Amino acid sequence: MGKILNYHRPIRMILLINIIAFTLLYLYKESYDYHTILFGLGVIGLINTAYFLLKWGSCGDEYLFLIVAMLVSIGIIMIYRLDKSLGIKQITWFVIGIVLFFLSYFVYQKFNFWDRLIYVYMGCSFILFLLTLLLGKNIQGATNWIVVKGQSIQPSEIIKIFFVFFIASYYKHPEKLKIPPIPVNGKKINIGSDIVLSAAAYMYMGFLVLQREWGSAVLFFIVYFTLLYVFENGKKILLINGILAVLGGIGGFLFVHHIKVRVDVWLNPWKDIAGTGYQITQSLFAIGSGGFFGRGIGLGSPKYIPEVQTDFIFSAICEEMGIFGGTAVVFLFFLLVYRGCKIAMEVENAFNKAVALGITIMFGFQTFIIIGGVIKLIPMTGITLPFVSYGGSSLTTSFIALGILQAISKKAYEVEEELTVAKE
Amino acid sequence: MQKNKKIIHILVVMSILFLSIVAYLTYFELFMKEEVVANSYNQRLREQDENVIRGTIYDRNMIVLAESRLEGENQERIYPYKNLYSHIIGYSSLVYGKSFIEARYNQHLIGATGLSSVFNLGNQLTGTAKKGNDVHLTIDHPLQVKAEKLIAGKKGAIVVMNPATGEILAMVSKPDYNPESEALEQNWKQTVESKEYPLLARATQGMYVPGSTYKTVISAAAIEKGMEDRVFDDKGVIVIDGKEIRNMNSTAYGRISLGRALAVSSNTVFSRIGVELGEESLKNIAERFGFNKKIPFDIPVSQSVFPYDKMSKTDMAAVGMGQGKLLVTPLHMAMIASSIANDGVMMKPILVSSITSPLGNVIYTNKPEELYRTMSYETSRKLTEMMLEAVNNGTGVNARISGINVAGKTGTAENERTVKGDGSEHAWFIGFAPVEEPQVAVAVIIEYSGSSGGKEAAPIARELIKEWLSKNK
Repeated sequence: MGKILNYHRPIRMILLINIIAFTLLYLYKESYDYHTILFGLGVIGLINTAYFLLKWGSCGDEYLFLIVAMLVSIGIIMIYRLDKSLGIKQITWFVIGIVLFFLSYFVYQKFNFWDRLIYVYMGCSFILFLLTLLLGKNIQGATNWIVVKGQSIQPSEIIKIFFVFFIASYYKHPEKLKIPPIPVNGKKINIGSDIVLSAAAYMYMGFLVLQREWGSAVLFFIVYFTLLYVFENGKKILLINGILAVLGGIGGFLFVHHIKVRVDVWLNPWKDIAGTGYQITQSLFAIGSGGFFGRGIGLGSPKYIPEVQTDFIFSAICEEMGIFGGTAVVFLFFLLVYRGCKIAMEVENAFNKAVALGITIMFGFQTFIIIGGVIKLIPMTGITLPFVSYGGSSLTTSFIALGILQAISKKAYEVEEELTVAKE
Repeated sequence: MQKNKKIIHILVVMSILFLSIVAYLTYFELFMKEEVVANSYNQRLREQDENVIRGTIYDRNMIVLAESRLEGENQERIYPYKNLYSHIIGYSSLVYGKSFIEARYNQHLIGATGLSSVFNLGNQLTGTAKKGNDVHLTIDHPLQVKAEKLIAGKKGAIVVMNPATGEILAMVSKPDYNPESEALEQNWKQTVESKEYPLLARATQGMYVPGSTYKTVISAAAIEKGMEDRVFDDKGVIVIDGKEIRNMNSTAYGRISLGRALAVSSNTVFSRIGVELGEESLKNIAERFGFNKKIPFDIPVSQSVFPYDKMSKTDMAAVGMGQGKLLVTPLHMAMIASSIANDGVMMKPILVSSITSPLGNVIYTNKPEELYRTMSYETSRKLTEMMLEAVNNGTGVNARISGINVAGKTGTAENERTVKGDGSEHAWFIGFAPVEEPQVAVAVIIEYSGSSGGKEAAPIARELIKEWLSKNK
């Protein structure tokens, strides 16, 4: 017991918050449901085992998993408090997520051909996009779900990883996207591979726009643009893409009704509280009611916010754990981004560098877009908060991405170790 | 390496974005949340109302003025004195929301403030209904009852306060309404649409021309300019810039001092003083007394106005005798009287003295606080002498009490209706007593009374002063 209360080691802090939260949930309104205790112990056991395996196998960066374990714990506690059955499902997804985490860690390490599959990534992505459009089910205004055997899957989650891999492969082997000169009127027109890359990237975003996944479209653009910034030497391509983004944004605002509505709601949600502004104002009520310290787990009323367990989970965290709790979540993501950038900087291989950075900024910007949205700092676009929001697709693919990042960190640190050994 | 440098740029951008979230949340929490959370679409408000037994509101001697009782599943807000506190405590209705003290101290009354929700953790976990905090007013219930009786059947307002502390002892606005939920919901439409405006808290939100009561403020400026020993020639009528100004009944008082002019409320003398003081002085003294400024208070107060940009001579003459575009609240007039009584220091008015938890711990106390210095001690003493003369030997004789020196000033204010010539002036009286060591200050207004302040308002003030001083001997 003394060891657990000694919170100097990060893993113990995670255990402590789980113990406290699940005990509170057990006592809450005198429910005394012993399942709650069992699930709490389950989560603790799972995190401990996974952490032990990581340490034992010396699998690279040990903090990545700790940060994410804390985030997932907060998410599960919140979801379990909102709806027990969803909480249990989320714990199941967490188990699957951890399995996938190790699986992707080993598989990514095992093989070396990842940088040569650029056409596979593109092909898989577009097939998934087409499947979504054809079989897609409209949930909450976006056609981004396909239902397989009663289980809804959100393909755009896994496409995120394909997208990062696609761009990363390009920066390892740019020549692969080179198309032979096209003969027009006897002259031959050369199309640079960077133009092909841009065209393909915009096709991804085009599909997302067709599915009305505005948030993901913006996210893909930011990831694409950031990778361009880091890996391209010329300024021209950045400028052109920047201008295109601005034009796209203005065009969207002027001609796409949905986007205009969202911007209007962002500027003044109070005008139509009962209608379009309902979600965001409910979210603000929740955050405001929480204050700095929160109303306490189980003591708030986040149930009034529509979609609280997915897109608006952050508002529920702010209501019950306070703005300090919310800030803690933001800083955890900041730590995650920091570790990710560190890994990306230490690894030498261009492909691994791009993948590590791509995954990191995917996590980082997705966090900013959704948290900024629910607190009305930026217009609201519905995407999930990685590792925290309820949802199998989101949680499992996030863990796959994390496993890959973990594998790259192992490579990065191995190189470092070799270097130090060589020096000695 | 170039690329790593750029990755650091990305990291910096991300840090800025994350910090902006934290900064925005903090800003939201500190400056925006209060208004947001109070929005009626926030279902939590209603939910808290249901889970917490709303706190009790007491007068200064622990007499219950509002309390909540459980009636089966629901709780009922009971106001034992019905209409009497409708413009102080207000109402707490599920349908129409909350007003005044019920609104302003809602968080306290439902016990939802900061730490107390943590201390109540046990109750919250077990779902037991808890009790909100209790609010203690500075009001003296017997005095409030007396004040209401004195103004019953008329329209207007009374404010009685302690000039040294700013505590409000009684505050009545007429007409009023029954704030209990059932009555409120039944009568809402006619209450809102009534031409008598029963929902208007006249004492704090009614805006009136101050009339001759404002001559006290002008006198303070005149004393400062050394006019106290001057002799004015009062012919009963004077023409300023082509506009004729008359005393009441056109009485000519002949050669009189400033003090005498205040006692008889000479319009001709004060309009001349207004012109002589000039624009700068008039603006300056009004602002020193709190015109065009917000008065911090426990319930909403309208801001008294001195709305002149450029003043003509007739404007200055009008302001000199408290007419023109000047508008004040009765509360503000009581504060002006108090500041004269309190050696030139205007105290912040106080309505809530303290808040206590259900266990009796004091959570908050409202301490007396200086708001403005309106004039020097010497000026205040000289002005007091002049106001004493006004009661002993002037228009305010009806406020005289044997054995107690009362200082006061009457006012018979012309308004938008008298302009049409239907003779319905506001009757005003402001004053305080005892002069030697003031314990109580009063402002009384009977709106559109058609009578003079000396006849209508001064006797009411006298009764209230007598009542309070006899109790606090």
